[in-house]
Amino acid sequence: MLSKFVKFTALITLTVCTLNAADFNAGAEKDRIAAIKYFEAKFADPEKNKNTFFPYSTDEELKNDYAKNLKHNDFAIGAYSFSKDAKSQYEAIKEMPPYENGIDKGEELYNKKFANGNSLATCFPDTKVAGNYPYFDEKKKELVSITSAVNDCLRANGEAEWNTQKGNMANFQAFLASSSTEAGKKVNIKISSAEAKKAYENGKEYYYTQKGYLKLSCAECHIQGAGIRVRNEKLSPLTGQTTHFPVYRLKWDELGTLERRISGCIVDQGQVSPKDESTQMKELLYFLAYMSNGMAVDGPDVRK
Amino acid sequence: MKKTILKFVTATALLTSGLVVSVNASEISKLDVKKECNVEANGIEKVLATATKYNEIAVKHNVEFMRLGMKASQYIEAVDLAVKSGAKTIDIVDDKKKKISEATIEYGAWRACSFAISALTQEEEAKKTWKLASPSDGYKY
Repeated sequence: MLSKFVKFTALITLTVCTLNAADFNAGAEKDRIAAIKYFEAKFADPEKNKNTFFPYSTDEELKNDYAKNLKHNDFAIGAYSFSKDAKSQYEAIKEMPPYENGIDKGEELYNKKFANGNSLATCFPDTKVAGNYPYFDEKKKELVSITSAVNDCLRANGEAEWNTQKGNMANFQAFLASSSTEAGKKVNIKISSAEAKKAYENGKEYYYTQKGYLKLSCAECHIQGAGIRVRNEKLSPLTGQTTHFPVYRLKWDELGTLERRISGCIVDQGQVSPKDESTQMKELLYFLAYMSNGMAVDGPDVRK
Repeated sequence: MKKTILKFVTATALLTSGLVVSVNASEISKLDVKKECNVEANGIEKVLATATKYNEIAVKHNVEFMRLGMKASQYIEAVDLAVKSGAKTIDIVDDKKKKISEATIEYGAWRACSFAISALTQEEEAKKTWKLASPSDGYKY
């Protein structure tokens, strides 16, 4: 009888814990699904939905330049999912990807010994983890981005930290992303505690808050503005925005990290960007990455 | 006892030197950029002091404005140096601190002040409006 009672109590406790854990990401799931629904509606038929979503576009460009009936996973390639012209250029560049050298350099860095005999392999025994960052470290009660994890590893081993935007950092992340992509990994961000949920919500608020002297939020360009042409470029959607980093950007002529891209965006809004390893930046990355949950990791990649 | 005296002296010094600034939300939302930052009416020193006061809060709140690589705090520093040296213009610099243009000190003070105040009023306003852009919250399409 006692054994049955203990088992029953354990089962109830486990169920309550599971339900509570699920509760922590309930709001984030609602956000993620609402974003997917919005983009699927927006890109179901841009020409037909001109008045709702593309009031400033011409009939001709909506008819000729935009793909139709896009679904969730199509957005992994950003603006190339709907922009026919940009996609053809993207596919041409991908025939000889300019980032392959970066992956090789990243692999060399992975195996290179530190002065103390350890290496990045000591800190990252599994290289197929790109889709799991950022994660909330429940012991330290803080977010860990892939960039901060690399620099934490270097600092812990007495090595000089790397530039968080390019060079070794971008090359090493390209190696991790490539390994994850080849292994068929998906973005897998977890929100398993009240503190993690708060960090996600802070990132969400940052994303939707109008900032800088131009009074622009990230959402104005990448939700309401997604697909809209700005000069000769079309803006990418929030969904799928983090799956492919680091990227070789033609403007940079080299590989760069997600933090480099985001801080560039924030500066363009007319605001001083948070530092790359700051809590605020990691919270924003956490929100962004969650919005791509379940999508295939497909980095590194190339962008204009 | 010595520690208490030291803490008191430090706090007093910080407060009097303007390093610790506390302004409530109500005061921020009442700020009028055109009035507070009018160099002709207020004089350049007063506008610069206003810019300094509010930009310190903007920096603390991580909402400092910048334009073309030049932060509000750089405008404040440049105008302050120009006023002290008697110069009539300030250098406008890019993100590598390379001169790309120049502006009058009056314009620099206006910009620093308007950036500092707008960063805070915008931050207050956004607390009530940010959800309107979220598809899962207030955004309708």
